[in-house]
Amino acid sequence: MTAKTWIMAALVVSVAVTFGTGCKRTKVKPGSGLGQNSELLNGTGGTGLDGNGLPGRPGFDGALVNGQFPTVFFDFDSAQVKEGERAKVAQVAEYLKANAGATVVLSGHTDERGSQEYNTSLGENRALAVREALTQDGVDAARMQTRSMGEEQPKNPGHDEAAWSQNRRVEFQVLGSK
Amino acid sequence: MLKRRTLIALTLAALPLLAHAQDIWITKNMSAKFSIDLTELRASAGGGALFVQTLQNDLVRSGWFSIARPATFTVRGSAAAGAGMSAACELLDNSRNRALLNKAYNGTAAETRRLAHQAADDIVFAATGKKGMNGARLLLAGRMGGGKEIFLCDADGGNLRQITHDNSISLAPQWAPNGELFVYTSFRRNNFQEINLVDLRTNQRTVIAAYPGIDMTGGVSPDGGSVLMTLSKDGNPDIYVQGLRGGAPIRLTKSIHAGQASPCWSPDGNAIAYVSDHSGQPQLYLISRGGGAGKLLTSRGSQNVAPDWGGEGIAYCSRRGGRYVVCVINPATREDRQISPGDCDYEDPSWAPDGRHIFCTRTSGYRSTICMLDTMGDAPLALPLGNGDWTSPACMR
Repeated sequence: MTAKTWIMAALVVSVAVTFGTGCKRTKVKPGSGLGQNSELLNGTGGTGLDGNGLPGRPGFDGALVNGQFPTVFFDFDSAQVKEGERAKVAQVAEYLKANAGATVVLSGHTDERGSQEYNTSLGENRALAVREALTQDGVDAARMQTRSMGEEQPKNPGHDEAAWSQNRRVEFQVLGSK
Repeated sequence: MLKRRTLIALTLAALPLLAHAQDIWITKNMSAKFSIDLTELRASAGGGALFVQTLQNDLVRSGWFSIARPATFTVRGSAAAGAGMSAACELLDNSRNRALLNKAYNGTAAETRRLAHQAADDIVFAATGKKGMNGARLLLAGRMGGGKEIFLCDADGGNLRQITHDNSISLAPQWAPNGELFVYTSFRRNNFQEINLVDLRTNQRTVIAAYPGIDMTGGVSPDGGSVLMTLSKDGNPDIYVQGLRGGAPIRLTKSIHAGQASPCWSPDGNAIAYVSDHSGQPQLYLISRGGGAGKLLTSRGSQNVAPDWGGEGIAYCSRRGGRYVVCVINPATREDRQISPGDCDYEDPSWAPDGRHIFCTRTSGYRSTICMLDTMGDAPLALPLGNGDWTSPACMR
């Protein structure tokens, strides 16, 4: 998006906040919205200790389709792909190998417990663990992008183990069709 | 409570050897206070009264004073609202019969609260020799619909203002030392993280990191030149340092299959505290500013996260007895002290500039508010932010 679009978007949201939900927060003064000095476009990829760095982001912007593949679940405070979840990863690997044009975003999530910043790292490690499993299954790492939402997007809004176990997860978003 | 206080005050009054003893309230649940009299600070209607009321609230919130008459200290002067706000405050030490402060506070009517905060900090310093905290401002994350936006408010929760309007998720704000610039993590483009630098003077923001994987903000260096970040572009969430206005990030930790997070600087800028789970659970570690192998700092608690390093030690969040509590650890001696009560979860600590109070998130019944903890024993104070879920307080120092 251009700077102009962002300023417009900020204005629209600002107006919406003033006349919409913002009315309930009587103490909040509506801000003017932030301008944009410059945009650093998608950063370059990393190299990694072992040449295992992530590819750059270009190619992953666009409509991503959720829910084509089953979600991989994790234990508390763990980024290990469990034996019972391994078949889900293999299914995605088969699809990617059969569809050379497809790319995938792996979105890692955590439950609500623990600090938000630590959970961001934990969610990313879950996505990276699935990435590593896909690589072992023969998928080129350059076709995968990881993302961590940390604890910000729970699948189940509850506050017990039943909810938490559904929230510790990696979701696949595949871009590109058969 | 009042009865007990009076009783203790009377008991102390009977001890002639203690200077000011009759004016120091000591109760089981409260730190020692100096009494201060504000009745000789004359206020005009409207703005003047707002100045005096804000000053009085600030002095109580500072933790050092209780309002009384007669008192150890008297504030004399006037606060008048005309075209603008014009106040004059003289602080008298009644026992020594001398003035410790005599200062004018002038500004626009809109600046009344800010001027009162400044007067409160001046009085705290004149009376105690300690830096005040009422002039500080807080950055916060506030839930808006399904996302979070960054907000700004005064140390007393007043003057709440929304800064980002991205209809996205904004997290982890961190001040630069000048109090005009801050960094935060945004998901505003395609739900991928990036680190933004915001200049509050111009309302401009600049993307300073948007690497593949995660881009989480860490602390800005005490000299304002560098920012710590957690990036995973090289295949593992590790700690990096980069120029505040951009440049190439330098990797400070190198781990495989472990998560690092929440890097912050020591007050002198020579060391960094951060979280790592390479032992299996998140714990605090220390490295020098140049990086290297982390030295384990914490041992108590099943999780230790969210460090904020101030002059009085490292405030952090520890999971103990099924609760999240805020603790302070001395990085040299490892002496460790729990600050928050155990009634609910207290997380995300951020030191106030007075080195005495700690702002944090308090979660009860799945609702989060911001509260101020006192390392000297006063009960936690909630900030009156109204409805909403408030997290990630970052206090200017």
